[in-house]
Amino acid sequence: MKPSYQALSPILGELVWNQSPSDELLGYQLAYLTHIQNQYSSDLVEVRQGFTRLSLVWKHLPNQQEFARILKDTLLDPIKLPDTVWEVPVCYDPVFGHDLAPLAESKNLSLAEVVQLHTAPSYRIHFFGFLPGFFYLNGLSSKLFAPRKDTPSLAVPPGSVAIGGSQTGVYPMQSPGGWHIIGRSPLTFFDPKKPMPVWAKPGDQIQFVPISVSQFDNWKEQLPKSVQK
Amino acid sequence: MSQVKGKAVLLRCPQGSSLQDEGRMLGTQFGIPSSGAMDQLSYRWANHLLQNKNNALALEMAQPGLKIQFEQACKISLAGARVVVKLNQETLTNPAIISIAAADILEVGGFQSGSRLYLCIQGGFQVDQFLGSGSDFESVTFPSKRSTNDCLSYFSFPQSFPIGAKPKWGTTWFESAEIKAYPGADWSLLSAEQQHQIQTSTFHLSKFSNRMGIQLEELIPNQLEDLPTNPVFPGTVQLTPGGRVIVLMRDAGVTGGYPRILHLSEEGQSQLAQKKVGEPIRFQLMESIAAG
Repeated sequence: MKPSYQALSPILGELVWNQSPSDELLGYQLAYLTHIQNQYSSDLVEVRQGFTRLSLVWKHLPNQQEFARILKDTLLDPIKLPDTVWEVPVCYDPVFGHDLAPLAESKNLSLAEVVQLHTAPSYRIHFFGFLPGFFYLNGLSSKLFAPRKDTPSLAVPPGSVAIGGSQTGVYPMQSPGGWHIIGRSPLTFFDPKKPMPVWAKPGDQIQFVPISVSQFDNWKEQLPKSVQK
Repeated sequence: MSQVKGKAVLLRCPQGSSLQDEGRMLGTQFGIPSSGAMDQLSYRWANHLLQNKNNALALEMAQPGLKIQFEQACKISLAGARVVVKLNQETLTNPAIISIAAADILEVGGFQSGSRLYLCIQGGFQVDQFLGSGSDFESVTFPSKRSTNDCLSYFSFPQSFPIGAKPKWGTTWFESAEIKAYPGADWSLLSAEQQHQIQTSTFHLSKFSNRMGIQLEELIPNQLEDLPTNPVFPGTVQLTPGGRVIVLMRDAGVTGGYPRILHLSEEGQSQLAQKKVGEPIRFQLMESIAAG
């Protein structure tokens, strides 16, 4: 899983992998990310991560050229992904999951089956994007894949748990959104008053745990419990 | 140098005004858009005129109508859109650098050319920084935009530097329709026909233009599917499944799934930030950068 390098402007370029997103690929991406941050931080403005790319903004063109030359002879081992699993409570009641019933119907599944399929796997966090604190997860069951809605909702409430295409995620704040809303979590997913505004990191896993409406209403904690697996 | 705290009151603040700097690069790992001045060239020039530090916070305006009163003496600079500027109701002939006395009132009239104006102040406007930046952004900074009757803080420098040569206020650099762009990460996925169309068409800025992105009127017929979500940047040009061409700007999300067909040069990004709705642009394709 050795990446190639594509320069996109004098100061912007990216490490390119052509494999599909997976734990294995993420292990390589995080190995390269760590290596780059350790070796080149004084030459870099910024690093951004996606499912199959690692994008680098350099201070100057020569920094980028030198890196690209060295990368050709750099072969890293993947890192071992963290064991941390965050338990995220979700109330899948239709009072919050407005799109749960229509989604279940379109899939010929019962509501309980959708919830079962959604809570069965633990999902791997690959990176943050789209909105502040929105984690991109890998691992959704293909039985739940659903094209985005034709007409996006204007105001999806914070904590909404949703499915869009082959993805699932949680809206950290109110936002317009085209994903199918299947439930809501009482946790806080982005807190700009904290120096570390999110509680999870790429490589960690998310386990959704179903809760009732009354549990949701009485939920006190803002942060999830983490377990090591 | 001794510093006195200063305060400026926004007696009238046009919609869409915000405090901006070079951007919040430390926040993008958490999914926070970088923000920062839309026209970085004008922003940096205005800061340079005052010998400010690189990341000094400036007021960005996208509409005419500012009326601001400074309670303490200071030096300010303006750059970007060409505007009529009045100090205590008198029109200034060259408003690039202005010495302000206590209680002075500055007013900004119509934009004659350009879309964004930067008001910098010696030492920069002062706010609590978050992740290395003071740039306003909704749900991340409080407040997230500037409004009439708000106050801005600054330091007043009693022994400030003398103003030497009068710098020239240029706008011709952004008036050209030609915008330099590099082939984007997914350029090679386009057909030869699409590539030709993108390089030869004249596009116009649509009304769907803001700090997140600038959508162009003309469509490029497109059958490309969405791709795995990957990083995007200010200056990334996306092509949607409906054939819409969208240039991402400073408040855009940090990742996206639409094909990334072009990447504007640094100058091209600033140039586009100064274009008005309805103005024509053409992409001037640069050679790919050979690295390594």
